[in-house]
Amino acid sequence: MSPHDERELAIEDEGDVVAARQMVRQAAQAVGFGVTDTTRIVTAASELTRNICNHAGAGVMRVRSIDEDGRSAIELEFVDQGPGIPDVAQAMEEGYSTSGGLGLGLPGSKRLMDEMEVESAVGRGTTVRVRKWLKA
Amino acid sequence: MVTMPPDPDDATIRALQEKALASMERHDARVLVLDITAVDTVDSYFARTISETAQMVSLMGGRTVVAGMQPAVAVTATQLGLAFRRVETALSVDRALDLVSAPGERGRWR
Repeated sequence: MSPHDERELAIEDEGDVVAARQMVRQAAQAVGFGVTDTTRIVTAASELTRNICNHAGAGVMRVRSIDEDGRSAIELEFVDQGPGIPDVAQAMEEGYSTSGGLGLGLPGSKRLMDEMEVESAVGRGTTVRVRKWLKA
Repeated sequence: MVTMPPDPDDATIRALQEKALASMERHDARVLVLDITAVDTVDSYFARTISETAQMVSLMGGRTVVAGMQPAVAVTATQLGLAFRRVETALSVDRALDLVSAPGERGRWR
């Protein structure tokens, strides 16, 4: 996947979780990740896609590769226009859930990836960006 | 025994849960073996459904053994913090069958 090659997937319901996993698996393998990191990245994508289904109802996932100083990464971006997260710090806490889930979505995905950024505005929506770098 | 496909969607997972419980009753089975050898992604929904299924099987007087988890899936599940409650585990389907055929050898619940 070249840096210009960005893929996008509309997330509308649970059925799109599988499509998201497949798109991310393909992209992770194209960047050169091995089986364990690919599994981590795909699982994080699965959790974050579910977050959109559960909290916002719909949104979009963007998948891109990054090349920086000779290092490669995969970046996943999850954007929704849902209710937003009033307290991002709290949402990042283990076991905190407003949807009756396990509350693993954000903190668990962060552990599986190298970097995570969450931008959210109540009533406007949420953007979650995660990256994993290919170890040289 | 239920064999999971590589990348099951939620509807498939739910359907397999129902089928597994129905066949427990029909065959008067004591053990449900969930073969996840082919499964390459286990997320929190999948893990929760497995735990719920095991709870249901337990209420029906049975045991649940999850068999064949891939190494990468085990690493990821642990880092994600997934819990498989009331589930026994085995390296492979063969080991699962050894486990359940040995009398009095009951695996530990997690």
